Amino acid sequence: MARMKFICDTERCIECNGCVTACKNENEVPWGVNRRRVVTVNDGIIGQEKSVSVACMHCSDAPCMAVCPVDCFYRTDEGVVLHDKDICIGCGYCSFACPFGAPQFLSKGAFGTRSKMDKCTFCSGGPEANGSVAEFEKYGRNRLAEGKLPLCAEMCSTKALIGGDSDIISGIFNQRVAIREKNGKYPGSKAFGWSTAYGGPDTPAPTPTPAAKIPGAK
Amino acid sequence: MKLHFKTLGLCVAAAALLAACSEPPAIAAKAAKRPDVAPYMGANDGFMTKGWTPGNQASWTESTDKRTQGQNEYSRVK
Repeated sequence: MARMKFICDTERCIECNGCVTACKNENEVPWGVNRRRVVTVNDGIIGQEKSVSVACMHCSDAPCMAVCPVDCFYRTDEGVVLHDKDICIGCGYCSFACPFGAPQFLSKGAFGTRSKMDKCTFCSGGPEANGSVAEFEKYGRNRLAEGKLPLCAEMCSTKALIGGDSDIISGIFNQRVAIREKNGKYPGSKAFGWSTAYGGPDTPAPTPTPAAKIPGAK
Repeated sequence: MKLHFKTLGLCVAAAALLAACSEPPAIAAKAAKRPDVAPYMGANDGFMTKGWTPGNQASWTESTDKRTQGQNEYSRVK
């Protein structure tokens, strides 16, 4: 059985925000809610500026599912974490539990009222009938049921963001890492590219900045 | 006998009062989790891709796997 995942290759992401736009358009996500966003670090530092496209990672052991007081989440056989908006009470616990900031809430109206939670569905809708109007209005397009993959990944111009069966996409990433290594970039990074992500065996562990050097820290 | 009637009366009153604390069946049914339909069953919305049979899990998996591999330029461009 397929286990659907996303991988974003920071060596390729050019911060075009095409994935964000594609997601909003395909799912008609309301103003103020971004199911996907691009995060950039080391802005302006030549050679060190990296961008990554982030959305729900459809965790195998999802913390949002663990903390939901009304148990509105479920995981499909394809490994996609979805939720039922008819059960969600919009409490926001999931947004505190999620390490990726995936759960989104539409803030409108008086007194800071919030909507029900909205998040990336891996373009696979929700518990309504596949491809129905009700499913589209609540969760967006069900591209998986149409035989397609999430639009953010399919339209990525540099193929930085890839999505699909975890074994296949990790194989694609593995091949890229091997080619980079062959071409002299990140020598010794080995097979899957974990060393690129987390540092190789010879990479010294980062030294924490002493509190005395951080302005305002005690 | 009188005591029995009193106890029975108290039980009926308690049951009547506590009934208000229960969830009406309509609400309970609405809040229940619904099963989702698997994507390999198809969407029937006019936007489905060709090359696989809705309802056939193996053909859906094969089709999406092929599409996933299509994201790899090294296998598309030689």
